Amino acid sequence: MAANNGSKVMTTKEAISRFVNDGDSLITGNYNESMPMSLLFEIIRQKKRGLTYYSQSGSFDGEFMAFSGCMEKMISAFVYKWGGSTRGGIIEQYQRAGKIQVEDYTNFTYNARLAAGAFGYSCLPVLPAIMDSDVFKIRGFMGDKKFGVITCPFTGKQTPVVPAANPDVCVLHVQRADKFGNAQHWGGLGSTVHACLASRKIIVSCEELVEPDIIKSSPHHTIVPGFRVSAVIEEPFGCHPFEIVGFRGLDTAMFSLINQAFKIDGGLDVFFDEWIYGLPDRSAYIQHYIEVFGQDMLNRYNARSYYSAPANYGIPFQSGWDINGISNDLGVDMEGLEKLIEERGELVDVN
Amino acid sequence: MLTKKITRQELLIIAASRQIQNGDVSILGIGLPIIAGAVAKKTHAPEAVLMMESGICDFEPRVLPMHVADASATRGYGYATDLFSVFSTITYAGYLDKAFLGVGQIDKFGNINTSYLGTPPGAPRISAAGGAPEFYAYAKKTILTMKGGQFVEKLPYLTSPGYLGGGSQREDSGRYTPGSGPSVLLTSKGIFKFDEETREMYLAALFPGVCVDTVKADVPWDLKIADTLESFPVPTDEEIRALREFSPRASFPSPVAVQLVFENFKRKIAAKKAARKAG
Repeated sequence: MAANNGSKVMTTKEAISRFVNDGDSLITGNYNESMPMSLLFEIIRQKKRGLTYYSQSGSFDGEFMAFSGCMEKMISAFVYKWGGSTRGGIIEQYQRAGKIQVEDYTNFTYNARLAAGAFGYSCLPVLPAIMDSDVFKIRGFMGDKKFGVITCPFTGKQTPVVPAANPDVCVLHVQRADKFGNAQHWGGLGSTVHACLASRKIIVSCEELVEPDIIKSSPHHTIVPGFRVSAVIEEPFGCHPFEIVGFRGLDTAMFSLINQAFKIDGGLDVFFDEWIYGLPDRSAYIQHYIEVFGQDMLNRYNARSYYSAPANYGIPFQSGWDINGISNDLGVDMEGLEKLIEERGELVDVN
Repeated sequence: MLTKKITRQELLIIAASRQIQNGDVSILGIGLPIIAGAVAKKTHAPEAVLMMESGICDFEPRVLPMHVADASATRGYGYATDLFSVFSTITYAGYLDKAFLGVGQIDKFGNINTSYLGTPPGAPRISAAGGAPEFYAYAKKTILTMKGGQFVEKLPYLTSPGYLGGGSQREDSGRYTPGSGPSVLLTSKGIFKFDEETREMYLAALFPGVCVDTVKADVPWDLKIADTLESFPVPTDEEIRALREFSPRASFPSPVAVQLVFENFKRKIAAKKAARKAG
């Protein structure tokens, strides 16, 4: 049974220590935007080891997971060299040195593995041109299981398939969630929904913890139902320096600091000590940001509100009874119903 | 405690309602299952996640829906998804705790026919498959209800596989969620369960006022009877009140309910006419 009795609200520290184990496969739910940085920083602080990390998109999350020593294997579709063309990226350096193993997919085949995992399928057909690509032909740690080929029973054509991916843990940052874990997110969704639903455990951090009524009046924004979620953390700025629609934009000041850290010798060590290991949690991180950059700089990235039109979920009858307590169907009140039951019902004696 | 007088229909609904535990993720079909779910959520299972296969997940039953995409279920629901996702990401992926299915015909191993009374195209139709085969295969547990259906020795058409030929056949096939299958069959004559070893249906409890011979008369094979029959669950006043508040017509057999609703409309129209005349 889904563990959905009551509240799943806890701290980031508690969620990571309870739900992320050494050797797990871990995936970022977010795709490029709203990256779950607070949760990833805590994984780094807790020195989780031997992780297989799924990240599709080449943000510095993957570089950090490699540099921290948490990540042993990576599955990705895009790797950006954060150290620039001469220095190279951390993932690149570590892969070439044999410190980590990386399996390359395409954006579509990466997402297809998660879709298969989310649907409960063991595999999913992908698009045939990939068979001519070295992405298909050159195999890393997935070996024979990176891709398969089946014969379509309808066309007779050779069709490539990918195996389902079911990561142990998904870390996700969203705009709002309730205590049960119902998580609402809007913006550039990428592979987010499949990344979440494919995963066995889902840890959600949110800008705002809201009353269940807020969720229930806007179910079209729910991307993960509460019964799938293991932990909920109210974590304002949980994705900083990444953007989150409706709250703030990508913090270019912080990004340039991180860029610098990648490009100078020992820069990342200094950055990690100052911004990850040296700070206990996200509120300390934001406090430190304000000390370094100033409140004005933080405020500069605040979103100017642009509200979506509300969807009208109105219905005519809120219950089967009118305001005078008369049944719409039967035209009697509760007392009248009891009489009707005695006169016309098939009474049964249970004693 | 029960102090109110109750009907046979109410007793059956409460028995079904008791099958939902707090926190269960349940898929409900139209009719008895929805009413049972509404009662469960108002009484012992406030955190049950009720869903309909159109993709309306985590809804609050307010009025009796007429179909599985009924707008009345969309006021205040938690998760708007779609039918394909309900069957895949929730059901096949292993997150559906309970399914409720109605039975047309059933055999001794819980295999179900809801399609044809024979071989199509010549055979009379019952209805069709709907969502039953997949929910039955992949819900962790299924609760079956039968009103006016039939026990048969051999199904003329197998719509939704139960325990197949019995024993470990279902488990061994590797096609079903491990441990899944029917846990109970509820009818207006009794509660039936399935033997852990043979997977053959047996009578577990008698409906009040019904005797074993009456049950056996409906079953074409030699129905096994539990060594000790359980007693049929007795509703509480709270449950009966929740049921009547949700759907007062559900307390009656459906032809009577239809008649009562019709009488109500006739009264309303007559009152309008009288008012017009007087005015």
